[in-house]
Amino acid sequence: MVLLHVLFEHAVGYALLALKEVEEISLLLPQVEECVLNLGKFHNIVRLVAFCPFASSQVALENANAVSEGVVHEDLRLLLETHLPSKKKKVLLGVGDPKIGAAIQEELGYNCQTGGVIAEILRGVRLHFHNLVKGLTDVSACKAQLGLGHSYSRAKVKFNVNRVDNMIIQSISLLDQLDKDINTFSMRVREWYGYHFPELVKIINDNATYCRLAQFIGNRRELNEEKLEKLEELTMDGAKAKAILDASRSSMGMDISAIDLINIESFSSRVVSLSEYRQSLHTYLRSKMSQVAPSLSALIGEAVGARLIAHAGSLTNLAKYPASTVQILGAEKALFRALKTRGNTPKYGLIFHSTFIGRAAAKNKGRISRYLANKCSIASRIDCFSEVPTSVFGEKLREQVEERLSFYETGEIPRKNLDVMKEAMVQAEEAAAEITRKLEKQEKKRLKKEKKRLAAIAALASSENSSSTPEECECFRVPSGTWHGSYLVTSMVGSFCKLFSGLR
Amino acid sequence: MTTTLTPASPAGNRCRQPSSWARTTARSPRRPLTTAASYRKLTPPPRPQIIKIPSQGAKPRRQAPGGGGDGRDRGGGGQRRGGVAKSKSRRRKGASAVSVEPHRHEGVFIYRGAEDALVTLNMVPGHSVYGERRVTVTEGGVKQEYRTWNPFRSKLAAAILGGVDQIHIKPKSKVLYLGAASGTTVSHVSDIIGPDGLVYAVEFSHRAGRDLVNVAKKRTNIIPVLEDARHPLKYRMLIGMVDVIFADVAQPDQSRIVALNAHTFLRNGGHFLISIKANCIDSTASAEAVFASEVRKLQQENLKPQEQLTLEPYERDHAVVVGVYRPLPKSASK
Repeated sequence: MVLLHVLFEHAVGYALLALKEVEEISLLLPQVEECVLNLGKFHNIVRLVAFCPFASSQVALENANAVSEGVVHEDLRLLLETHLPSKKKKVLLGVGDPKIGAAIQEELGYNCQTGGVIAEILRGVRLHFHNLVKGLTDVSACKAQLGLGHSYSRAKVKFNVNRVDNMIIQSISLLDQLDKDINTFSMRVREWYGYHFPELVKIINDNATYCRLAQFIGNRRELNEEKLEKLEELTMDGAKAKAILDASRSSMGMDISAIDLINIESFSSRVVSLSEYRQSLHTYLRSKMSQVAPSLSALIGEAVGARLIAHAGSLTNLAKYPASTVQILGAEKALFRALKTRGNTPKYGLIFHSTFIGRAAAKNKGRISRYLANKCSIASRIDCFSEVPTSVFGEKLREQVEERLSFYETGEIPRKNLDVMKEAMVQAEEAAAEITRKLEKQEKKRLKKEKKRLAAIAALASSENSSSTPEECECFRVPSGTWHGSYLVTSMVGSFCKLFSGLR
Repeated sequence: MTTTLTPASPAGNRCRQPSSWARTTARSPRRPLTTAASYRKLTPPPRPQIIKIPSQGAKPRRQAPGGGGDGRDRGGGGQRRGGVAKSKSRRRKGASAVSVEPHRHEGVFIYRGAEDALVTLNMVPGHSVYGERRVTVTEGGVKQEYRTWNPFRSKLAAAILGGVDQIHIKPKSKVLYLGAASGTTVSHVSDIIGPDGLVYAVEFSHRAGRDLVNVAKKRTNIIPVLEDARHPLKYRMLIGMVDVIFADVAQPDQSRIVALNAHTFLRNGGHFLISIKANCIDSTASAEAVFASEVRKLQQENLKPQEQLTLEPYERDHAVVVGVYRPLPKSASK
């Protein structure tokens, strides 16, 4: 004879219900099914043993998070230990989720069961819950769900685990967009300034240099020998500087007024600052990638790695993809077209832009692409799931790809994978230990600073005879590690915004 | 090859799958569908002058409308007979005043003005959720604000205008909405069910979830749940028993997701509406085959389909399946 209890979690609190005693659990099923709809009959089978409401919305949120992860919260433990009979062998607890059942069994020792009749009973409880608990109405239960739903969702958005990936995705998209825009604007500068000084367009090929020159030269009539030095500095080519000087004297461009020149100059200075910003954004992206996915960036480079992550949506998504998907990420149009018409599927997608594919002979491109995609998959998984990501594995994998390439060219046998990985693991452990030591040192320093500051504030407070306590100052504590990142991000975004507000 | 879902149903063959036309009749694969620009001129949309399908006598996409047929202009069904609609449209333009009349489905209305539109009563007057047009109509001295419902953006509106028999979403019902995205269709469902109903909006993407939470701030009958619909047990604390499940998730294992949620949250005799995107389930198979296989999968999970309807001309290769879960025994039905 087992006492079957059922645990029901609701936004207002936990409820423990007991079922009438039966010999066999399965005998209950037909009875439960027929009476689930009828409240009176349901009362005969199920009665409420205990109800533990949540103390506050904060507590409710913690419990909701614990339930969604399948962890036993303190309140749940309290409820179960208080109200379930102490003879653990005689009690069978029915729960909705096998994960939490396993956790309860492990921590508290009660036998748990899910599925079958338990699921039916839980459906009935969910339907009639507001009737089972005294003082609870349908409306108040719904209000509690509303509040808890809002706080749960807000918490999810706020503590988004993919926040570093988001920075990378936005940066790489911005980089691509900036390239296009800088090119368009430079073309515009060329056209515009070309009315005044057409020969300059042919002499200078580089966009950034042209814009700087346009800004510097201004009215071509004022060009003389004195400015030759500066010209050389800008173009970094003596011959070109001389050619510019000569061309300016015999130019067929029209004369333009000072105010037109001012406009052209201000526009070209904007373009110059945009391309400088692009440089700094590139360095920012490289630093972020080496922080987040060092192996991946060591293997295929920061730009391609960032594009892969952006395409997949996050590093975790990229790690979950099979290697064959990584191989053709970015070539979806060709892939589905080939699948529908039963043609040949593409051999490479975004991976194509890494250096290796270009270096392979035509008939080896497919093989290298597959090999590279396999290694990328390994690298992204290592980055995503290791505690302290290092670039050691990335470098070793890169060596392997190089060896494979030279094998196709010269026939030289590459090293065995097992040996390479053994080396890599040893090195990686050392590197990881090094990094953890550094982080610990930083953490200690920060804690010391905090203590000093708190002590100083407390001293100040006590000297002023005010009532503030050291506990109140805890609100100043900022979670470690995030302030640096967030400062960098806001400075990047800020400089970007400033550029565009100026452009308007 | 009509797929019969409830052959014993009194209304005859409920399946509205265009099996004998559209795919087999000559039609170029890149035929343009009705564009959003012509949406304004649209209600009920399947007027022959807008659909570019060579009507060929406009084989009606559904059989004689069964028990629901009534004199009022329905959102879609009857108008698809070629030629008849033209005269009806001319007659309607003769009618003068701007008015709002109730649709066959409770909570949904039709706005009759210069252009006809499907509208719902705005629960938060003065605010647009996604920039949609709002119309104010004075009825018996009271000003009522309605929001227009775009069938190109919302699968539910497309289904209503396509002539679905029952949407089961009524005032005061509890709805579980899977795949809520930014809350555009959810806001219309919230208008329909009114302040006494509840819609639990489940959305996994954080980016869209942010917008959803903002919509839910103004409308207290929307409960946002930012969680994966594949694991209904994770959010079981936040949801009670519901009357209707609406699923628009566009995932290959859609049927399993709906089944899991139905087993946990849908009451006996509750209904479900699932929007199936054929391309998403299997991009190489034909749309009809995909819909048929999805219906089979649903039937195995005790979800009994009752109607199937494609969403042409608003979406390509989409279908909506409406059905009942664990139908109540006839003796117990009221």
